[in-house]
Amino acid sequence: MSFSLKKSYRLLLLLILFMVIIGIWRPNALLDGLQRGSLYAIIALPLALVLGILGVLNLAHGDFLTVGFYLIYMLYSRFNLDPLVSIVPAVLFLILLSGGIYLLTVKNVLKDGHLNQLLITFGISLVLIETINIIWTSRPRNVYTDYAYSAIEVGGFRFGTYELLYILIAVAVLVALQWFLKNTRLGQATFAVGQNPKGARIVGINVNFVYLFVFSVSIGILGIVAGFMLPRTAIFPGVGSPFSLKSFALAAMAGLGNLNGILIAGVTLGIGEAVINSIPNYGGWSDIVFFGVLIIVIISRSYRRAR
Amino acid sequence: MLKIKNLDVSYGKIQVIWDLNLNIKDNEAVGIFGPNGAGKSTLINAVIGLINNIDGEILFNGENIVGLSTHQIIKKGIALVPQKRELFPLMSVKENLKLGSAYIPSAKNKTDNNLEFVYSLFPILKEREKQIAGTMSGGQQRMLAVGRALMSSPKLLILDEPSIGLQPSLVTDLFKKLNEIKKEDVSILLAEQNVRQGLKVINRGYVLENGRIELEDSVKNLSSNEHIKKSYLGI
Repeated sequence: MSFSLKKSYRLLLLLILFMVIIGIWRPNALLDGLQRGSLYAIIALPLALVLGILGVLNLAHGDFLTVGFYLIYMLYSRFNLDPLVSIVPAVLFLILLSGGIYLLTVKNVLKDGHLNQLLITFGISLVLIETINIIWTSRPRNVYTDYAYSAIEVGGFRFGTYELLYILIAVAVLVALQWFLKNTRLGQATFAVGQNPKGARIVGINVNFVYLFVFSVSIGILGIVAGFMLPRTAIFPGVGSPFSLKSFALAAMAGLGNLNGILIAGVTLGIGEAVINSIPNYGGWSDIVFFGVLIIVIISRSYRRAR
Repeated sequence: MLKIKNLDVSYGKIQVIWDLNLNIKDNEAVGIFGPNGAGKSTLINAVIGLINNIDGEILFNGENIVGLSTHQIIKKGIALVPQKRELFPLMSVKENLKLGSAYIPSAKNKTDNNLEFVYSLFPILKEREKQIAGTMSGGQQRMLAVGRALMSSPKLLILDEPSIGLQPSLVTDLFKKLNEIKKEDVSILLAEQNVRQGLKVINRGYVLENGRIELEDSVKNLSSNEHIKKSYLGI
């Protein structure tokens, strides 16, 4: 499996056109969609990285996000730590936890078929959910911070400032990831392993270490996401699970390994969902639209390939 | 340099190599000849740690390397030109070459020198240093694979059927280059089916059939050996 850093100019232009139209028609939906889409994209990026490099679809991806949420919630309720400060311990904890889980489980099924890999990550997902359920029960919890609800008004049009952060973080994570892959020793090794693991072995790259690194750091990124999301999200043990599926959908829509495409796909689907949500009484349709768009994209892509 | 003692190699329950002994001296070029399925690639994969189901000893400069992982073995000074090339198809020629030395501590500061040597050996790689490796022809990719292996300043260069899939003129070219490489301070282990060409490069050869060494001799005696003539040279 490979992944490319190619620029997706044409798609980007289309997306901007789409955003302009929505912006004129429903400006609120545009903003809502941008932040929603950015969130989807930062959550999907690490999943796509693991999928591209290790070839493993991690069904427990979203549940690691849940673990991050609860850890930050605990630090908030016990020690009154601000969620944004707790990002540091959350990232470290998630790296250690996922690294340990990788060494005990995923590492042993890398050479097996995809079915075994899916089963094992599905198992991890259930264990994480139920462990959280035992410790914190299924009662929804939330964290309140003032800054998460600040808003500004521009030209009679009022919007929350905190959500705009999501967009910045998504772009920052994407840029940092690409910089890392291009310019660092470990990044080049990761890029090489993604293209040809055997080739990487025979130039002296420790492929097993790269796998461990990619898996644990990818999950670590979710700690950042958890810290920023928690002030605006009510959490319960299953809160992260839908993100596994949506992340996989984004990775599939962007084309496996296309990192920029994930941001574009995420924002497109996010805005699509937000537009549906902004129409009174049709909010329930948003998932249908999300997966409908996905199905259309995948069908049109395979149609283009078949020709 | 390399000494293999009583080596048995299996894939699961199927034993492929039986009680194999082989040694390569410093600056010596040694050939392993044999038909398809004789165990040549298996032997090579065992040496560089891609197969773990091994009995026996593989000594590299006196140190047993059985049980080490591939990246550790490569760092000790063994380089491989794999049968299927195993390049990085999305990277440029130059990036591929640079990766050849980037992860070898002893070769890292020689990157520029080695790059110059590889370019002088294969000028086409210099011409195309910005081309994406996956878009090159099979012959050029083979040269790139040889070049990438040389980037690590290996003490032992292993080539797994470098002639496979190449048109005859390119095979002749490639073996001329191998003779030039031989002049450097490097030992060569060459696994080949193309015995006629292989004999032009090596000092000594082994014939491997059904996972066992059937014959070992100097290049002179091998060329006049009846079995070789009949089975491999078609004379």
